[in-house]
This record gives sequence, structure tokens and C-alpha cells, in this order.
Amino acid sequence: MQYRTRIAVAIGIASLTVAASARADLSKFDIGAKIYTKHLTTNDDTQGLLWRGNPFWADQIKGGNGVGSEFELNFKGRVSDFVLAGARVSSRFGERWQDYWESGNRMYGNKINTSGDSVGMNRASYMKLRGTWIQVSPQAYGIDYIRIGSSDLGMFNPWTIGRLRFIDRDNGKGYFVSGHIGGDNPLQYLLAAVALPKLWVGPWWSTGLGDPALQNPFWSADWAYAATLRWQPTDGTTIRFVGTMTRDLEVDPADPDALGSTNPGCKDKLGHSIPGCQADHAVDLYTRYGAINATLEIEQELGETSRIDALVAYSQQRIDENMTANGVKLNQGISPVVYKNTDDLAVKARFATDDPLEWGLSFKAEYFNIGSEYNAIFGGRREADVLLTEGFLGGGQLPTLNLANEFVDWDEQWVESCIGWHGATALATFENEDGDIKIELEYTFLRFNTDAQNRDVDSLYPDFLHSDGYTDTGLYDYANVSDRGRDPRSVYHRNQWRRSQIVVLRGVKQFDAGRGLELHWKAKYILDKDFRSLEGPDDDYVGHILQGGLKLAAIVSDGVKVALGTRVDRWFEENRRGTLELGYGDDETERISTYLQASYSFGGLRAGYHLEYLHKNQIRERESDQLWNVWRSKATMEVAW
Amino acid sequence: MHRKVALVVTALIAMAFAAPVQAADPAKKITLKDPAGDDKGPGKYVYPTDPAYTAKSFDLRSVQIKDKGSSIEFKVTIGARIKDVWNSKDWDGNGFSLQFVQIYIDTNHKAGKGHTRPLPGLGSANFKADEAWDKLVLISPQGKLRLSSEVRYKAKKMRKDVVIPRKTKARGKTLIAIVKKKDLGQPTKDWGFQVVMQSNEGYPDKKDILTRRVNEIRGQHRFGGGHDSNCDPHVIDMLAGKAKGDASEARAQFAALQYVCKKKVATLPMIYPFK
Repeated sequence: MQYRTRIAVAIGIASLTVAASARADLSKFDIGAKIYTKHLTTNDDTQGLLWRGNPFWADQIKGGNGVGSEFELNFKGRVSDFVLAGARVSSRFGERWQDYWESGNRMYGNKINTSGDSVGMNRASYMKLRGTWIQVSPQAYGIDYIRIGSSDLGMFNPWTIGRLRFIDRDNGKGYFVSGHIGGDNPLQYLLAAVALPKLWVGPWWSTGLGDPALQNPFWSADWAYAATLRWQPTDGTTIRFVGTMTRDLEVDPADPDALGSTNPGCKDKLGHSIPGCQADHAVDLYTRYGAINATLEIEQELGETSRIDALVAYSQQRIDENMTANGVKLNQGISPVVYKNTDDLAVKARFATDDPLEWGLSFKAEYFNIGSEYNAIFGGRREADVLLTEGFLGGGQLPTLNLANEFVDWDEQWVESCIGWHGATALATFENEDGDIKIELEYTFLRFNTDAQNRDVDSLYPDFLHSDGYTDTGLYDYANVSDRGRDPRSVYHRNQWRRSQIVVLRGVKQFDAGRGLELHWKAKYILDKDFRSLEGPDDDYVGHILQGGLKLAAIVSDGVKVALGTRVDRWFEENRRGTLELGYGDDETERISTYLQASYSFGGLRAGYHLEYLHKNQIRERESDQLWNVWRSKATMEVAW
Repeated sequence: MHRKVALVVTALIAMAFAAPVQAADPAKKITLKDPAGDDKGPGKYVYPTDPAYTAKSFDLRSVQIKDKGSSIEFKVTIGARIKDVWNSKDWDGNGFSLQFVQIYIDTNHKAGKGHTRPLPGLGSANFKADEAWDKLVLISPQGKLRLSSEVRYKAKKMRKDVVIPRKTKARGKTLIAIVKKKDLGQPTKDWGFQVVMQSNEGYPDKKDILTRRVNEIRGQHRFGGGHDSNCDPHVIDMLAGKAKGDASEARAQFAALQYVCKKKVATLPMIYPFK
């Protein structure tokens, strides 16, 4: 072989080897990365990267003026044919570009100065391990996989354990076993033990921390246990069961082995031995708070285009009052639980038919009846919706007091609690043959299982303090300094006898102009009546909520879409807010927003822009009028590779 | 007089029935069928493990193409009810989440015209030279903006031949797309079709257009049974044989999609319903 030929063969073999090893690497290990940048501007003097932050703590990142970036790395690996693993590392979102050189130190207490050591870790963009998981396929009969570690908990449902909100998606961790038993129509199952977050799943939005009744909260052995079963006995029938149980355990403070025990030496104040008290290096545990939520759902197809979904849900909570302080009484009625043991049911049935006659006409109808004490304490908190209706706020309904309309910007939709809702929705949709017109008409009638007279909202039922008036989610503030209306969690009132009707008409028309022009329009009317106290002076609330919207959107180039829109609201509310003692006032609200939207998608880059002007005039009978003239914008940019 | 009227009426009726019935243009409505249970690509592909990917969700059963005057309606039916498991409203989508159907059309059946490579994202697979496609209709849950951007960036040379429907929606087990005739042309008996079933992937590989990859081992969101490099066809189901729906077409599909890395590339056959 000639020298040059040998060289060529050697290079060829070498390149084959490199190619083979590169292929093996690709198959075993993937890395994905993402950069997200957001720029908020508002004509006020707030500084931050997030319009609404945490309602509970000052989180130091909320405000209407700021620009900041986030970077994340996703790792996925194939350890072997039977084992997969993954992890996500992401930077803390909160550092404004103007912060420049923050190290994360807080060397000057709460004083912010020009050094790089004054604003703390929230504004330092440090990288943090967000989640890890290992998934094993053990090749054993009946087991598909075992997962250990992070999960977004999306395998259950909002009535039991809800999918974690997007910002929390890797925070949920647990043990999961999934498999199936049987042949053609197997019974699929999932068993799980999920670590309870120390925040939110229990009274005082915690599993003990911050509860005035506890001296030494113990939260490291708090778990939720869950099982799902899914069976498809025939092609058109699916039956699904989800059962979940949460247990928040606390130590017995009288146990001599417990940290901070009230009986460390098993002697009473007089120095006498306490009968039955003996240190044994074991600590007794009691359940501070426990909840059971379960659903049984049947989905039946009726021919090619129609189906019925029916769901029955059960909710139970047990509170140990010795270990749980009364959050309704001590926290101004702001509590994610009713302060007593509860058992309640919910049912929902939905019929849907998709254009059965091929005339372009589809129809959905839903009946729902949710008990006044149903509460999914670990259920969906947002980014989910259990009912067909658009509801009052338009962002979805969830059967929990534990809603999380926080860590949001002003352009995001809000969820509302549907605890106690009893009613029905009908939705008709028409789409023409050419596909350029779509019209929807929706009607909902609502009564409320939470209707009551002289309900104890002082020590049993949380009313979330601000429970009157139509909610303005676009100008919301948690402390309600600007009279923003009812808290979306406020389902209990001292006196209520309420009936509501919601009508929505919306549509879209596409025009053959340019690359595509769309006209979206929407009209909504809410008639909301609450007779409140059925005795005594006139305190009846009557709300006429009128909303109209128009949006013209056009694709102006490949990947570029712009839209111009407006939304006009008029709210006429008799006896909007007040008390029996102080009286009520008739208030009117004019609210107009005009906005420009643009989105751009090109070569893996995705960008969005929203600029809006909002004018609101609140004309109040008992208090001074209020005026808003707000300019605000939000720009986002994202690349992933 | 009455007799005359009766005669005239009778004559008119007779003429009406006697008039030669104009034969309906067969290309006005074309139906193509595919057997059940062949949603396995070349025979071994399996669905991802996530519960969202329910059985038969990618099992192509039939395709109907109907001339509706100024527009053409495509109806693609699969084996399971189409659900919107990822709430497509949140991402400007079309009311479903999982499926992504690509309808390749050969309008002239001539070599040297059209494209022999499918849209990027189907792995390794080719059309024969004389079955090259001239138009491609995308039935995707993704909105028009995302689709047009992906095509522009990743398939620039094919861009003018890719048709994004005016309207895309799901109805029961059927995906429906309405395409403007001026974008596609008038269907004729010469047209050939191939309908490829894939899955919508919102975070595709940088060269793929919104398709889900097939790996050797299936993952939570990856099909399994293929190859980790890109030498396998990322086609879960497609038309084969004469597209009448008989069992032999499953075997024909498995055979057409056979591949040997670096040696043999899978073939996407074009179906000519009138030939």
C-alpha cells in the first residue's frame, strides 16, 4: 500500500471512529439551554421584574420597571437501556440589568447602596439546582417505570393533586411507580409518595412553619400519598380513579424526647414524676392537618363525535386544633382552610358534540355542583380549569382556597375559586364551511352552595377580608389599597343569597388580505345579584358587568404577527361595598384599555411585545372617586438550544 | 287542454330523467384508507411513555379530500379521540396537541419536478424521483405564525410549496383542515398523495420542523424502536399499497420504511388513487 493510500485509510478509520463515538454521546447525553429576558415598563415609580410578587413576603423583585434575564440548563442522560436521569439548573430571576455587579451579599442590613454587596441573593442571578430525577424501567412484570425525584405532578388532576404551576415545575419531588396489569385493555396504575412543600399545603399556608400553635415545627416527614387507576374496558369508555391523602405530622410537645419538650425530665412543676412519661429516644408524632381528595371519572364516547365526561369528587380535611392555630380568627379571615373538620362532595357532568350534522355547529353543556366545603388543598392552583364556563374573571375555575394568582404580570389571566358553585353552562359554536368565521355563544347560570345567613366568618370560614365588588385583576393589589374588588378566593360571606348569570358572545373572522388578517371580538355580560342579609335594611348587591373587546391581528411576514385591540368595560354596581352598619354605596366603573401586541418567531428566537394604555375611572358614592391613567409595556425574548 | 298539459309535463319529466347524468368528477372527493394497528413505523416503533400518548393516537385510518369550491377540505381520521392534552389555546394552537399530519401531493407524476426529500424532521426518508412532491399541506396544532416561521427558517427551499391551512381543527377522531384552492390548485385524477403521521413537538431539534424524534429506547416524550442517529425514518404511520385499508398495506408500509443506517434509506411511496 502506498504511503498516501495508507494515510487516507487511516484518516477514514479515524473519522469513522469519531463519528461513532459522537453518535454514542448524542444518544446518551443531551443538554438543552434557554435564555429568557423580560423588560417591564410602567409610568409609575415601582422597580422590579414582576408586576405581582408574593403577597406574603416582600420578595424584592416585584415592580413595574426593570429588565432582567434568566438562564437555564437541562440535562438528560441515558445511563443504560433501563435507566434515564435528568437535572435542571437555572439562574435566579430577579437581577435587573442596572444592578450590574451584585454578588449576593447583604453587608449593610436592609440598606441598598452602590456596592455589589447590598441587595442579596434574590438579585444575584446565582445558578441553582432546581430538580433531579432518575427513572428506572426494571423489566419486572406490571412495572413500567419507577421515578425518583422531580415531577410537575401532572399525573393527577386539579381536584386532588394539581399540576404544579410553571414556576414550580421541578420543585415537586417524590417516589413514583407506574405500570399496568393485563393484556389488551390493561389496568394502568400509578402509586406515588410526594414530599409536601413546607409552603402552602395546610393551615397558615404551611405544614407547620409560622403556625402560632407550634413551638418547634416539624416538616421533614410530611408527605402526600396518591394512587391513580385507569381502565379502558372498551374503545369508547375510560374510567379513571385518583385518590390522594396528605399528612402533616408534628411532634408531641409532651414527649420527653422531643426538641423543646414541655416535660424534658418527665417531672411536673412540683418535681413529681409524670405517670406514663418515660424517655425512650423515640418521638411520638400527631397529625396536625390531614386531607383526603379523591375523584372517579368516567368518559364515555357516544358515536363518532359526541361524548360524556362525568366526575364525582370527595374532599375531607381533619384539623387538630391543639396543633393548629385558628387562621380565620388570627389572620383577618385570610386562610386556605375552613377551621374545622370537613367532608364534602362535588359532581360535574359534561356533554360535548363536535359538529354532529356537519353543519359547522358544535355544542357543549355542563352541570356542576361543588360542595360548600370542598377544598383541594394540594389541588391545581392556577394554569388549570375544571369548568366549562368562562366564569367571572375568564382565567379558569379551581376547587380550592389555595389559588396562586401571584408571581404574575398584568397581561396574565387569573383563576377564581369555584367552591360552592352550583349551576350549568351551555356553549354553542358555529364555524362556517370555509373556516373563516367562528362564533361562540355561552350562557351560565349560577347559584351558590355557600349561601348562608350569619355565617361565622370570624372564626370558622375565611372570607379573605375583601369580598365585595367585581374584581379588577389588571389593577390588583393584595392589600386592597386601591379598591380592586373581591379577592378571587373569597367564597364565604357572613350573609349571602346570590344568583349570577353570565353571557358571552365571541367570534373571529379571517379575511383574505395579505398573509392573513383576523378580527376577534367579544361581548360579555354578567348579572350578579346577592341579597346578602335577608332581613333588615337594604344591602342587596346588583352588579351589571359589561365588557366588550375588539382585536385586529395580522401576520405581516413569516414569523411576525402584530395586533391592535381595545377592551371597554362598564360596571354598574348597586350597594357595591360597605357594611350593614356603615351602609353601602352605588359605584360605577369605566375602564378602557387599548393595546398593541407584536410577536416574532425566527430561527429559534421567540419574542413578544405588549404595550397598553389603561384608563379607569371609578365613581364611588361613599368614597372619593379614583382615576387611573396607566401606560405599561412588557417585552420578552427567549431562545432555546 | 288538460290532456295537453299532462303530455307536456310528462314529456318534461321524461326529458329530465332521460338527460344524460353528468358524471361527478371523481377528483371532487377522494378517500384513502389505512389499516388499523400499523402505527409502528417500519414495524417496531413504540409510543413515548408519557400518559398523554394514548393508544391509537397516531394510528392513521382514513383520509378524505373534498373539493368545496374555492377551498379544499382534508379530513384525516385516526384510531383514537383527539384530545387537547397540552391546552393549545395557551400557545395560540388549533384545539389539539399531539398529532402532526403532513400531506404530500404530487401534482404531475414526473421525475425532475418537485422535492424528493420530505420536510425536515422525518429523519431519513425519501420520495422516488418520479413521485416527488409538489405541494405539502401541514395539519398541525401549532398556530400559523409558528408554522410559517419554522418553515421559513428550516426549509427555505420548500417554503413556496408548503401550504398552511386557513383553518385547522379537531372533531372527534378526525383532524380537519381547510385549504384555499388558490394555494393548492385544482385536484385532478393525476394527483398522488402520501399522508405521514407524526407527533407535534413544541421544542424540536434545531433542524426539525416541529416533529418528535424516534430513538432506540423510548422516553417520556420520544418514540422508541428506532435508531439514535438520524438514519431511521421518523414516520409513525403512513399510507401504503393502494390505500384501500387492507392488512397487506401494513406490510407494505413496514417494507417501505425499512432502513439500514448508511446503506438504505426508507421510501415514502406516493399513492395515485386513479391509477
